[in-house]
Amino acid sequence: MMLEAKNLSKAFGGKPALKNVGFSLGRGEIHGLLGHNGAGKSTTLGIILGMVAPDQGEVLIDGISVQEHRGKALRKVGAIFEAPAFYDYMTGWDNLKILMSYSGGFDGKSAREVVKRVGLEQRIGSKVRTYSHGMRQRLALAQALLPEPELLLLDEPTDGLDPEGIKWFRDFILELRQERGMTVLFNSHLLSEVEQMCDRVAILREGQLVFEGSVRNLADETPIYQADLETWSVAGPVVERFGGSVLQAGRIALPVSIDSAQVLEEWVKAGVRVREFSKVRRSLEDVYMEILDG
Amino acid sequence: MVEAAPTDMVFIQQLSGELRKLFARPRTWMGYGAFLAMEALILTVYKLEASQERMRGMVERNGLEFSTYYSSLTITFMIMLLSMFLLGSIYFALVAGDIVAKENEDGNLRMVFARPISRFRLLLVKYTAVCLYTFSFVFFVGISGYAMAVAAVGWEGGLFVIEPKMKVFAAYPNWWEGAGRLALSAAGIGISMITLSSIAFMFSCFKIKPAAATIITLTILFVDMILQGFPFFKPYESYFVTWRMSAWVFLVEQYISWPKIIESFTFLAGLNVSLFTIGWLAFQTRDFKT
Repeated sequence: MMLEAKNLSKAFGGKPALKNVGFSLGRGEIHGLLGHNGAGKSTTLGIILGMVAPDQGEVLIDGISVQEHRGKALRKVGAIFEAPAFYDYMTGWDNLKILMSYSGGFDGKSAREVVKRVGLEQRIGSKVRTYSHGMRQRLALAQALLPEPELLLLDEPTDGLDPEGIKWFRDFILELRQERGMTVLFNSHLLSEVEQMCDRVAILREGQLVFEGSVRNLADETPIYQADLETWSVAGPVVERFGGSVLQAGRIALPVSIDSAQVLEEWVKAGVRVREFSKVRRSLEDVYMEILDG
Repeated sequence: MVEAAPTDMVFIQQLSGELRKLFARPRTWMGYGAFLAMEALILTVYKLEASQERMRGMVERNGLEFSTYYSSLTITFMIMLLSMFLLGSIYFALVAGDIVAKENEDGNLRMVFARPISRFRLLLVKYTAVCLYTFSFVFFVGISGYAMAVAAVGWEGGLFVIEPKMKVFAAYPNWWEGAGRLALSAAGIGISMITLSSIAFMFSCFKIKPAAATIITLTILFVDMILQGFPFFKPYESYFVTWRMSAWVFLVEQYISWPKIIESFTFLAGLNVSLFTIGWLAFQTRDFKT
């Protein structure tokens, strides 16, 4: 495992922010971290980076405890934050130099390569205060990649970027995974991005982990079907007999173990006239909202 | 993984980065400008007829020749004394009060905390930068003040020092001897001012705004100085930080009392270590949320 978060609990001023949260990331995996504002995502990220001390639990990065050996554990980590705060009065290059000095030393050759790769070579000598938001994110990406990390932590990295910038960023991260087998923890509100990039997701609600698993499983866990039929008063009890439930607007939810053909057969036997019946392709957003709504 | 450089080289890289940050800020240069303006003002005052008469009285009352001691060395000494007291305290408290708290406020620290540097090491780098900056700035004031004074009154002449509060009186007719004592006193002021910076640095490590760190530091030092002046506290004056910080003036005495100076500087060094330790403990136990 590249990252293991074990039973993390944290309270601020007596108010619990995280309650026994645990999840793990395998090597080369892109893992989403989702939740509403205040769900505990930032606290989780803070604990992973050793910026926040957990009341209970620990984080292991490549088997090394962040809480016990932070310096050693973070040697393989790069991180990008939403609205990265650089030293605006200095050049992009000087910022990289300073940040890299905190990671064991600056290597000009590697820095030039990374700067070229993120497409900042023309402006790296300019003061950061003159950068656009997109350029700041590219610089953030450069500083995160410079220690040649095996684990990349992305905290809302595409917030404020235009669609072109978001696509560039997504493609870049996917390329990195393909080339270097990099593991990525991706914290974002853009569910479509998470759906396109992530293999697995962890969903937090009020400091508790309410789901952890593959993105595909999440969408398939309680399949939803759209039915156009008469006599719902007869069709509804049939659905309930199979352990399902009737939702709004002609939708029904069935357990994964139930074959929808069986339900159709029972409906026909009960005299229900079915005009249309199909499985609804649900987006991560649909499922996420259902989970958060309880 | 990038091959790690030797630890001492990395420390130098980190320290030079910290100093580069200090010097890249426009505010730093505004500080230099403010000091140069202050020096020019003090120099102008010393060129006034009335000031010269006052100084003549002081020098001649002690049986000395005014023309020998109305010199660039004496004026530089006064420039250092006055500008450090009037502007230096505010400036150093501002720089040291900002060094951690401002980076936290601006969000720079979370970028740093994504790196494998320990909090102790980070503070050590920042504290070393503050100490070097404080110490070297005093020499900047001394050298620039001397250059201005030379332009105004010429380079020749000795050094005349009278400091009633600490009961110090000294006169060095020889330029070399005077210049040596002036350089020694600049080093002494530098060491003393590090304590001021250390107080501001400690508060900067707390969970407070940068301006609060500066204001609290200045308040503590002014209260200390005011209380020290009360007759009731006279027997206890050596327990006051500002009295210890003024001990540098003994370096210009005709016969230097090294035990007295070493005692005060040891007191200040102990205080500095304590302030750093308290700041580090406060910083170490804080949570920094992204």
